[in-house]
Amino acid sequence: MFSAQVIGALSVNPEKWFDKTIRNMTDSKYFTTTKKGEIFELKTELNSEKKEKKKEAVKKVIASMTVGKDVSALFPDVVNCMQTDNVELKKLVYLYLMNYAKSQPDLAIMAVNTFVKDCEDPNPLIRALAVRTMGCIRVEKITEYLCDPLRKCMKDEDPYVRKTAAVCVAKLHDMNPALVKDQGFVELLNDLLSDANPMVVANAVAALTEINEQKTVIEVNSQMVNKLLTALNECTEWGQVFILDALAGYTPRDDREAQNICERISPRLAHANAAVVLSTVKVLMKLIDIMPADSEFITQLTKKLAPPMVTLLSAEPEIQYVALRNINLIVQKRPDILKQEMKVFFVKYNDPIYVKMEKLDIMIRLAQQSNISQVLSELKEYATEVDVDFVRKSVRAIGRCAIKVEASSERCVQTLLELIQTKVNYVVQEAVVVIKDIFRKYPNRYESIISALCENLDTLDEPEARASMIWIIGEYAERIDNADELLESFVEGFHDENTQVQLQLLTAVVKLFLKRPGVAQALVQRVLSLATQDSDNPDLRDRGFIYWRLLSADPAAAKNVVLTEKPLISEETDLLEPSLLEQLVCHIGTLASVYHKPPSAFIDPAKAPLRQINPTTTNTNGANLLDTSSSSRNGTSSAPTVIPSQDQVIADLLSLDLNAPATTAAFGGNTMSGTTSSGGLDDLLGLGGDVSVPSVPVQSAHNPFDPLAGLGLGNPAAAQIPSQQQPAAIGGLAEIFGTNALSTNTLNYNYPKELLLDASKAMGMQVEGTFIRKSGRIYMELTITNKAMQAMSNFAVQFNKNSFGLVPAEQPNSLAPLLPNQSQNFTIACDTTGPVQSVFIYSFIQNKK
Amino acid sequence: MRILILGLDGAGKTTILYRLQVGEIVTTIPTIGFNVEQVEYKNLKFQVWDLGGQTSIRPYWRCYYANTDAIIYVVDSADRDRVGISKQELVSMLQEDELQGAVLAVLANKQDIAGCLTETEVYKALGLEALRNRTIQIFKTSASKGEGLDAAMDWLANQLQQKK
Repeated sequence: MFSAQVIGALSVNPEKWFDKTIRNMTDSKYFTTTKKGEIFELKTELNSEKKEKKKEAVKKVIASMTVGKDVSALFPDVVNCMQTDNVELKKLVYLYLMNYAKSQPDLAIMAVNTFVKDCEDPNPLIRALAVRTMGCIRVEKITEYLCDPLRKCMKDEDPYVRKTAAVCVAKLHDMNPALVKDQGFVELLNDLLSDANPMVVANAVAALTEINEQKTVIEVNSQMVNKLLTALNECTEWGQVFILDALAGYTPRDDREAQNICERISPRLAHANAAVVLSTVKVLMKLIDIMPADSEFITQLTKKLAPPMVTLLSAEPEIQYVALRNINLIVQKRPDILKQEMKVFFVKYNDPIYVKMEKLDIMIRLAQQSNISQVLSELKEYATEVDVDFVRKSVRAIGRCAIKVEASSERCVQTLLELIQTKVNYVVQEAVVVIKDIFRKYPNRYESIISALCENLDTLDEPEARASMIWIIGEYAERIDNADELLESFVEGFHDENTQVQLQLLTAVVKLFLKRPGVAQALVQRVLSLATQDSDNPDLRDRGFIYWRLLSADPAAAKNVVLTEKPLISEETDLLEPSLLEQLVCHIGTLASVYHKPPSAFIDPAKAPLRQINPTTTNTNGANLLDTSSSSRNGTSSAPTVIPSQDQVIADLLSLDLNAPATTAAFGGNTMSGTTSSGGLDDLLGLGGDVSVPSVPVQSAHNPFDPLAGLGLGNPAAAQIPSQQQPAAIGGLAEIFGTNALSTNTLNYNYPKELLLDASKAMGMQVEGTFIRKSGRIYMELTITNKAMQAMSNFAVQFNKNSFGLVPAEQPNSLAPLLPNQSQNFTIACDTTGPVQSVFIYSFIQNKK
Repeated sequence: MRILILGLDGAGKTTILYRLQVGEIVTTIPTIGFNVEQVEYKNLKFQVWDLGGQTSIRPYWRCYYANTDAIIYVVDSADRDRVGISKQELVSMLQEDELQGAVLAVLANKQDIAGCLTETEVYKALGLEALRNRTIQIFKTSASKGEGLDAAMDWLANQLQQKK
């Protein structure tokens, strides 16, 4: 009953509605513009004949716009107010246009004629206003109409108009680079560099620099440099920054020219604007590098550099922070510049915390024999402050001083002991962590303090401190009478511990067992079974199995492996990679120098997909590779805090879908495990030697058939393309590799090596390579350069499963360890017999320590 | 008083506007958008809008129709090929509600060019005889020589004064 009623009601209503619609066909009026409301009122006022009323209306519109109301519906009406002799009204309309032109791209064309007229207005302010607004209107349709007026304005008699036009070119380039090129605007900008007015020069160089960042259109040459140097002193402060930044991109031809530039820009160091000072420092830092290091001139120049930086530290805290971040770079690059200025980096009680932290960093970098006592007494005071983070960092700093300046280690350890006596929880924990580092640096010197440490065992609740303490107990098990009891107390809660602590505990118990087999027999069994049977963590399990097997197979070998002599840790541990530092020094005074990251890392995320693996390319072998390396790191080096950030660096350099037909082949993943096992296992067992160097698994992709990278580089190679497209019996892929006769003839060109992996992205390992073909076989030619500060060795190469079935047929086993700043070439033969899976070629190059 | 000058591109609208305003020939470029000027004629003040005639701009003429008192529709008499298009534009424009009360002056421009359509030919080609109910007049002009414009403005001024 009920449902029937409902259906009845439904069937009636649409009819009624339909009738109504038929009767009132003019319902469309509801969709046309309303004749009421605010917008309509404004519309009427905008069309008023009275100028005052019009202006009032535009003001109301702008007011609505700024508070976020949508007044784009008024676009045509506002544009109609554009042709006026009232500058105020014109400015308001322009403001509106900049905001709404994008939302009304079609209607925006109605404004073009007015722009054209305004660019010829007798009043230079209006001409400049017009050209500036034009640049801000990012509507593709109208840009072409704006070229002529823009060109006129670039040759305007008024400098204000010219400099505004120069900036407009950069904006236009951002929108339509081809247009800028075709219309010859770059040449016009270049002409403006010779302008009599320094402001015009500064803006022209700013525009050129910005355009160059996207695509190099013009190189800075010495002639240009001379013009810039002339304009430099007369510019406004921001103009000076532009000019200096452009100068930083120039490499002088010889020492004399470099010296000349230095002399002419160094007065800028005294400028009141911090940006000018930093930009000047940047240029000078670059030029100093070029000139001979021991010259008198350099000594003089270096002396000049310190005072302006010290002055920056008396500015507002925010500027201080930026200055400190930059100084941090400068101190790493050239410690001698500020070595006399330790005192200015002492922390003031009212410094904001971020300034304090930065100052601490720099204090440690500047610490040396001559000033260490001063630094230590400062640090000791900081360690009693109230801010927890600051106190922690101060405690760590004391430890780092001990490691850096050997003569002070005694005092540092003493100071740390005193701090431990305070029993302040976080102080004790930090102290334990740094003391472990001190033990690594000066073995068998300060073991007497272990007892003091053990007293505080119960207060340690942070994983890092616990792990450090456990390492100490394991390392000195033979000297701690109750080491077994201490470790046992940790083993009680094995499963509640953090992985880091579990790994340390496992290693420490094994050490204890090897040193004092009698007391730890039961304990070691228990820990091994906990690690191998009850844990889900593959790292832990693998390490447990290795130890177990070692212990059961050959205890003597186990002793050699586990209790092997550890190399000393280096003193400067948190330095930036030299190549990254080099890059950052070139960006002094920019955001990059504050972040300590290259601009590409934070400006365009598409350009920096580092630290993430393309999910489609991760395979089980790749995962193993990473796992073993990470466990090895934690296993043998128990000083994770001292080692610079050692996240696994995985660079996904190139992944290109070739759409190549994948030839069928059996799926098998074993081919690659062979390549990793030699390096990986050695490492896990601690045979690798220098443990303080993090292992760097590097995944890089290389594809010689990338049209941009490979073929694009050399035209001769283009001859191969047709052969690739031919339907051949063997299959397109074999053909590309030249296995059939047809392409053999054409394949006499070797692709130049290209950069596969940049050092700044892979902790100092730079890899260049290419594929070549010799007598019918494929080889990969690689050049590995060590740009890190430590030696690299034990290289292994592996490719991801790829559609070509390409696998390395040999390993670069003979490769000698690579010392810093050395590079080596090697060639490995490749087969196409590997498993065929995806359409990506990845190559792994692993540097094992 | 609000007057619109309309017509296809290249008909001479901008030249006419500045002829009326400053009495001189100015070099013009294609109007991408509009020009607006105050023109005084026989103690009457007109606000004259000259809208670009290119195909891409014609759709936006409608934004200017409101409160228009008179339309000056300019035809390039020498452009025989496009007189048909010109007619279409004129017809569709005159259908607009907002222009029902507007006086229409058609200028057969470029009469100085040899072989151009005569005043009558233009009148026919545009189908002006079909337009009843509207105050309408055609004039032959040459904006470059300044001929015929005064006659047209005289007529317009009279009509608009009468309407008041």
